[in-house]
Amino acid sequence: MSIWIDIARLATGVNLVLLAVLLAIWGRNYHQLRSRQTLGMLVFALLLFVENGFALYVYLLDPVLRVWFSTSVPDPAWQAMVVFHILEAFAIGFLTWVTLD
Amino acid sequence: MEAVLWYVLAGTRGGPNRVRILRALDERPRNPNQLAEELDLNYDTIRHHLEVMVDNDVVRASGDDYGAVYLPSPPARNHWETVETIINQLDS
Repeated sequence: MSIWIDIARLATGVNLVLLAVLLAIWGRNYHQLRSRQTLGMLVFALLLFVENGFALYVYLLDPVLRVWFSTSVPDPAWQAMVVFHILEAFAIGFLTWVTLD
Repeated sequence: MEAVLWYVLAGTRGGPNRVRILRALDERPRNPNQLAEELDLNYDTIRHHLEVMVDNDVVRASGDDYGAVYLPSPPARNHWETVETIINQLDS
């Protein structure tokens, strides 16, 4: 019914793509540099990737939660959740932008 | 400065090539053409990396003329042990 869950799914999917880019770059740099700093960036991206992967899973695949999220969560709650997802997408987007440079 | 060095040299896609450029500039100042030849990298790639490092005050150009040579900046010199750590790790 609600468009908000679609926006949340989309933002989460965008986050996963951006984080995959960061993981590729920081994974390669860690492979070449083997330092704590590059490892820190790699672990940071990995944990955010897991977070977004888990969010997408409950929004899209989990047999119980998927139904609950798409039918029983009222719009104001979704709007608040979508703000979190979109702010996170902007944060990761800017980080990807400077990292690709 | 240390955080800048880590991010510019180790946190970005172009980081490893920037480390190579910085190492070459530490040996002696060079212009973009010499760097391209020495490191077997595209001239525009070299220009781009130098621009990013100038922006972050990691290297400075001596003069603004075409063909100006570049060298590590004083702040980078002050934190050279950080640069050295990154350079050595790239080698191994």
